[in-house]
Amino acid sequence: MSGRDYFIKRTVLVVTTIFVVIVINFFLFRIMPANPVDILISPTQGQEKMGIEIKEALMKDLGLDRPLYIQFIIYLKDVLQLNLGYSFRAPRPVIQIIAERLVNTLVLMFTGNVISILMAVSLGVIAAWKRGSKTDLGSLISALTLTSMPMFWVGGIMLLIFSVRLDLFPMFGVTKIGYSHPNFLSYLGDYLHHLFLPMITMALVSFGGLFLIMRNSLMDVFSEDYILTAKAIGLSERTIIFKNALQNAMLPLVTIIAIRIGFMFSGSLLTETVFSWPGLGYTIYQAVEWRDYPILQGTFLIITILVVISSFVAELIYGYIDPRIRTGASSG
Amino acid sequence: MMAGTKTALYKRRIRDFILQYKESKLGIVGLFILVFFIFVATFANNLSDHSIKPTGGILKDRFKPPSSKYILGTDDVGRDIATLIMYGGRISLLIGFLAAIISGGIGTIVGLTAGYFGGWKEDLLMRITDIVLVIPGLPLMLVLASLLGSNFWNIIFVISVIGWTGTARVVRAQVLSLKERAFIESSKAIGASDLRIIGYHLLPNVFPLIVAQMILGVGGAILSEAALSFLGLGDPSSVSWGMILHWAFAVGSLSSNYWWFIIPPGICITLVSLGFTFVGFALDQIVNPRIRRR
Repeated sequence: MSGRDYFIKRTVLVVTTIFVVIVINFFLFRIMPANPVDILISPTQGQEKMGIEIKEALMKDLGLDRPLYIQFIIYLKDVLQLNLGYSFRAPRPVIQIIAERLVNTLVLMFTGNVISILMAVSLGVIAAWKRGSKTDLGSLISALTLTSMPMFWVGGIMLLIFSVRLDLFPMFGVTKIGYSHPNFLSYLGDYLHHLFLPMITMALVSFGGLFLIMRNSLMDVFSEDYILTAKAIGLSERTIIFKNALQNAMLPLVTIIAIRIGFMFSGSLLTETVFSWPGLGYTIYQAVEWRDYPILQGTFLIITILVVISSFVAELIYGYIDPRIRTGASSG
Repeated sequence: MMAGTKTALYKRRIRDFILQYKESKLGIVGLFILVFFIFVATFANNLSDHSIKPTGGILKDRFKPPSSKYILGTDDVGRDIATLIMYGGRISLLIGFLAAIISGGIGTIVGLTAGYFGGWKEDLLMRITDIVLVIPGLPLMLVLASLLGSNFWNIIFVISVIGWTGTARVVRAQVLSLKERAFIESSKAIGASDLRIIGYHLLPNVFPLIVAQMILGVGGAILSEAALSFLGLGDPSSVSWGMILHWAFAVGSLSSNYWWFIIPPGICITLVSLGFTFVGFALDQIVNPRIRRR
């Protein structure tokens, strides 16, 4: 397969995936037992107060009296214009709420995963180089244990130790409530203070899986002929690891990230919920709790599209740095 | 005569398997963990004198720290947490096993069909697999569970819907390599039907692989159930480890420092899912030809 074919194939896949996601998102919220208008008229208030005329007017207004395929076309047009409807709870456009909270998710995911990747790469190198050593076994077992822990529970334990017992960090939110910061620096300090525990939680829950894949692929790299040659001609361990092996390990790292972006969002969802960190994950959680379906539908759509696109970008980078794909040398 | 040699063959295979399994220290540790938890969950009603129904003296026995009467303390309605955990193991393990079996079944059907028939069926099934793989799991489970409503079977369904992709890929890869072997070719040549080839030749050969995948999947399913319960989408009528944690978080055990309400259920989830991972790894080492070659 040549580089161009690869690119075209992946692009087709990503466009189909996004389309399928939009279709799923449209139909999911229509196969529910309740009619969208019944939900719009808030399940807690009940529609009796509204009367049948208002219900019919609303259905007409939302285009729900039209055939399904027309409804879908309307929905598709709305999505393309980023018109995702209004929240039930606060009468604001869904897209506006998502835009506000996206930053917090990105900050948490980025910082947490950078720490986690640094830990996974450095420990992965040591573990794969000294295979079977105490460091290898120790990090292997801690990685397996970390992947077996419920992510939200890890966050809870962090809070229990560092906020409740030691009183070092705040328990929720991004900044102190009801406190106006005199300058940006003070705001930033407060933000980072709130970020610390969720960030460490995020790093811990991502570490296990990253380390396991990193260790495996580095073991493959270390057993390859050129590394053996390098050892044979007497290059120092340092040179071999940093000059040769690590460069080759970057390749699997990009693939791992591409595969795990979806997982990172799942981790972020739970971490955000434990720490009441107002990002997209916490928004989804609140939408479920309040049965705020426009928010739920919109946030799910945006998260999924973000994941699909970022995995795609990671794959493109992979295609770019892997000479086998770039030049089409491999037939697989 | 034929039957006799066949039984002997199976006996030898099982003996070989046990010998190989004994080699794996992690596998043995994992097995011990699982046997322990399955035992405790099965005999929960014999092992504990406490009931999981709220006690009469609710206010008196709320949030009691661990003592000789309540080994792990009590919850917000005065129930013994150790007993809750024993009963909770039943639901968590049951959901884990059922979800792993169902998603393993879906994965097997998809993988076999794609690998054996090839062509457009393979293309279509593998594209679907790619798409399910890329959609972030937890948000999808959350949306499905909140739309379908959360009860025991819906939770299993929701976990299975996203859990089958790994098995599908592994089974397909194995079927692709089996398809080239002589015995499949010759069965085709003598006119065996597709169903017969799949049922008699392919399935028995991929079965050990599927079992290893399923065992690996149980831990993941238990974690998913816990996450859904924590997010308020668990089945409120059944006690699972995830539900216990949900109640613990919901009544503010964190800020009130009721650590006994939070730490033990999480340790149980961690140990059990670690146990399944260890056993699954050990099995995979033996039955997965891709790993074995390394």
